[in-house]
Amino acid sequence: MADALVIQNLNKRFGGLRAVQDVSFTVRENETLALIGPNGAGKTTAFNLIMGFHRPDAGSVSAFGREMVGRRPHDVCAHGLARTFQVAKPFGGMTVLDNVMTGAFLHDRSPGAAREKAREAIDFVGLSAREKTAARDLTTIDQRRLEMARALATQPRLLLLDEVMAGLNPAEVDQAVALVGKLSGRGLTIVIVEHLMRAIMALARHIVVLDHGQKIAEGSPKEIVENPEVIRAYLGSGYVRAPAGTAP
Amino acid sequence: MQLRGWGGLVLAIAIVVMVALPLVIKNAFAIDILIRILLFAFIGTAWNLLGGYAKQLSLGHAAFFGLGAYTSTLLQIDLGISPWIGMAAGGVVGMLASLPIGWLCFRLRGPYFAIATIATAQVLMLVFLKFRDFAWGAEGTTIPNFGDAPLMMQFEGKAPYYYIVLGLLAAALAITAWVERSRIGYYLVAIGEDEDAAEAVGINVARVKRNIYMISSFLTALAGTFYTQYIYFIDPQTAFNFSVSIEAALVSIVGGVGTLWGPLIGTVLLETTSALLQSWLGNSIGGVQLTVYSLILMAVILWKPTGIMGYVAEVYARRRARPAKA
Amino acid sequence: MAQAVINGLLIGGVYALVSIGVTLIFGVVKIVNFAQGEFVMIGMYISYFLATQFGIDPVVSLLVSMPALFVIGVLVQHFLIRRVLGLNDLPQIFLTFALSLLILNLALMLFTANYRTVHTSYSDEVFHLGGLIVPVAKLIAFVLAMVLSGGLWVFLHTTDLGKAMRAASQNRDVAQLMGINPNRVFAVALGIALALAGAAGSLLMPFYPAYPLVGQVFVLMAFVAVVLGTLGNVIGALIASLLMGVAESLGIQFIGADSGLIVVFVLLLTTLAVRPSGLAGGGRR
Repeated sequence: MADALVIQNLNKRFGGLRAVQDVSFTVRENETLALIGPNGAGKTTAFNLIMGFHRPDAGSVSAFGREMVGRRPHDVCAHGLARTFQVAKPFGGMTVLDNVMTGAFLHDRSPGAAREKAREAIDFVGLSAREKTAARDLTTIDQRRLEMARALATQPRLLLLDEVMAGLNPAEVDQAVALVGKLSGRGLTIVIVEHLMRAIMALARHIVVLDHGQKIAEGSPKEIVENPEVIRAYLGSGYVRAPAGTAP
Repeated sequence: MQLRGWGGLVLAIAIVVMVALPLVIKNAFAIDILIRILLFAFIGTAWNLLGGYAKQLSLGHAAFFGLGAYTSTLLQIDLGISPWIGMAAGGVVGMLASLPIGWLCFRLRGPYFAIATIATAQVLMLVFLKFRDFAWGAEGTTIPNFGDAPLMMQFEGKAPYYYIVLGLLAAALAITAWVERSRIGYYLVAIGEDEDAAEAVGINVARVKRNIYMISSFLTALAGTFYTQYIYFIDPQTAFNFSVSIEAALVSIVGGVGTLWGPLIGTVLLETTSALLQSWLGNSIGGVQLTVYSLILMAVILWKPTGIMGYVAEVYARRRARPAKA
Repeated sequence: MAQAVINGLLIGGVYALVSIGVTLIFGVVKIVNFAQGEFVMIGMYISYFLATQFGIDPVVSLLVSMPALFVIGVLVQHFLIRRVLGLNDLPQIFLTFALSLLILNLALMLFTANYRTVHTSYSDEVFHLGGLIVPVAKLIAFVLAMVLSGGLWVFLHTTDLGKAMRAASQNRDVAQLMGINPNRVFAVALGIALALAGAAGSLLMPFYPAYPLVGQVFVLMAFVAVVLGTLGNVIGALIASLLMGVAESLGIQFIGADSGLIVVFVLLLTTLAVRPSGLAGGGRR
């Protein structure tokens, strides 16, 4: 299988803060990769760099064989990458349908065709009942669904999901996990930033751990959970045991 | 906006009324007010495309008004070219000017964009004030009066001017209605809501802004030519007057930004108020009109930022949400 | 040329008072006060009336104009600004813009467009420094402007309230979590900013005429200085204002009498073209 996303030596500093330091990893097509790490580790910054909201100081981002560094976000999107935002950014004054249509217009110029495609995406995330609701009147979880529908409407090949599970109750988490699983089933490559172990374990076979902007571990869920560096980053050195010990 | 049923009927009646008005009203002062209303509704509608839908709050549209005015006047007086052609040429000049102005100003967001647009209009005024060699400097010039000369956009009565500006307004409204329904309309509103999110769904924000600015500036420039022809006079203070920029934004805000009819409704309200003030107080006390305008603006901002059309939409939505009576 | 520099610096001090007010409001309340110039104008008229009715020297009338404008600032924050906080650009821009129009046109209605001047004993006095002429009135204005700016700096860095303001300007949410009442902080910020504007007005009276539109000139200078000095940065605004004063003065000296405005605009547009990203908040990432 080909590489969907190749990140090499990504670097970004903001003033004195090294937000992302020499981060490299590869995501295979149709893979679901989880990007995890303590708060402030640089995960959302990595997303911003991939999508072109910030320009990296050094390094390369290659998606489906094409270099993305230097491109504006809309161009990156046109190349098949889409994202959701950690704090949802719906077009508040527009209805759900209109919101998703803005995404659909990327591939369908006519409002009629865009509306159809938008309805498909809305249906997929389960928001059909709220089609005519103004985005600003939606509940938080529905706004998350809207973010996803809008991103899906751009017909991406790679989806960057930024903490879509945050603040959801267990039933909602199950729904979200099922949704993401369905997307993967359709052939999408997915990179999720998550804190919720349950979701990560259910969805990702490949995990990258960031801490203070650096990649400190990469591997399968089992490897990550037993990795002393990861334990140290999340819980502090006091919790690191000898490698032969079981994970906490 | 529904064009079916009652809405369509009202619109048809309104059109008939608007076209018939000059045949019924002969009072020159009244026609003048109507022309002013239509003109500022036109400018407001042009502004609304950029400022209302995309929320790029320009306070410098006078720049294009003035450029349009000067282009057609220069072509007319120096080269004898008809203002009809001059108007189109002025539109093009305005449109082209929006490119460097946009390049400069769109680098900023929010209030700083507004300040930059104010600055560009002022710079143009200062340039035209200072350099008398190519455009008469501070005294400006009058348009030679040819009497009744339709080909030179001059007419004896006021009615023809009324129809011209009515046509301009109709064109602007048609353009706005078309934009609203099309892809670019959705893109404009998205940009107005959240530029970053818009980028993330593949909208080329810079290009959309550039394109709508060109349309907006083209139309505004046409207004400049019209006005000059109407008052037979041009000078930098009039052509690049800040109050043109203010009123363009004001009528849209009061009437409802980002709506089709907002600018027209806002203009009717403000200009009628202004006309009433004028008849009560005369012109002796400077500052009255703008004082009232600013009070109206503050009231709208504080109580109903979505303007009159916003209020109408709310009432309508509340009615639809009311459960059906048994 | 040195003369032009001196002239520029002296007036730059007054510009500083106006621009510091704008940058303070922007930094703390995150709103651009389009009406700042009108408050300078109010300060001027206060001093004018105190001078003509009661014979009070404009500089002394600082003791009246500053507190009066502080109170106005608190009222503006409480009744107007507070209601558009957290809303988007349109209400925030157009509220202060409307306020500016309102005050300006009310002044036009009440006072007419006539220039009002105050002539004090020292209005025409100069003293000589080397070969240079230093007008006394302008010097007093400059010195007091620097004193007030210095006072503000001390306030912001040593008092609890000042530190609270700086905290709120850097991170409003965290400041709130720390128990800082934003409305109180905003009211003080508005009060101080308007008091500084009023001070500028009073200090200007001995050598500058008062008229309704006078605010427009100063607010423009202020905006350019604020942008140049980085939004929210008080020292930046101060230094930029002095530079602007000098630039304007040099422009008048070498280009022509009415070129001051063009110099300012060109400076503004050049800054925007060349370094908008260096100016936090006003530019793109």
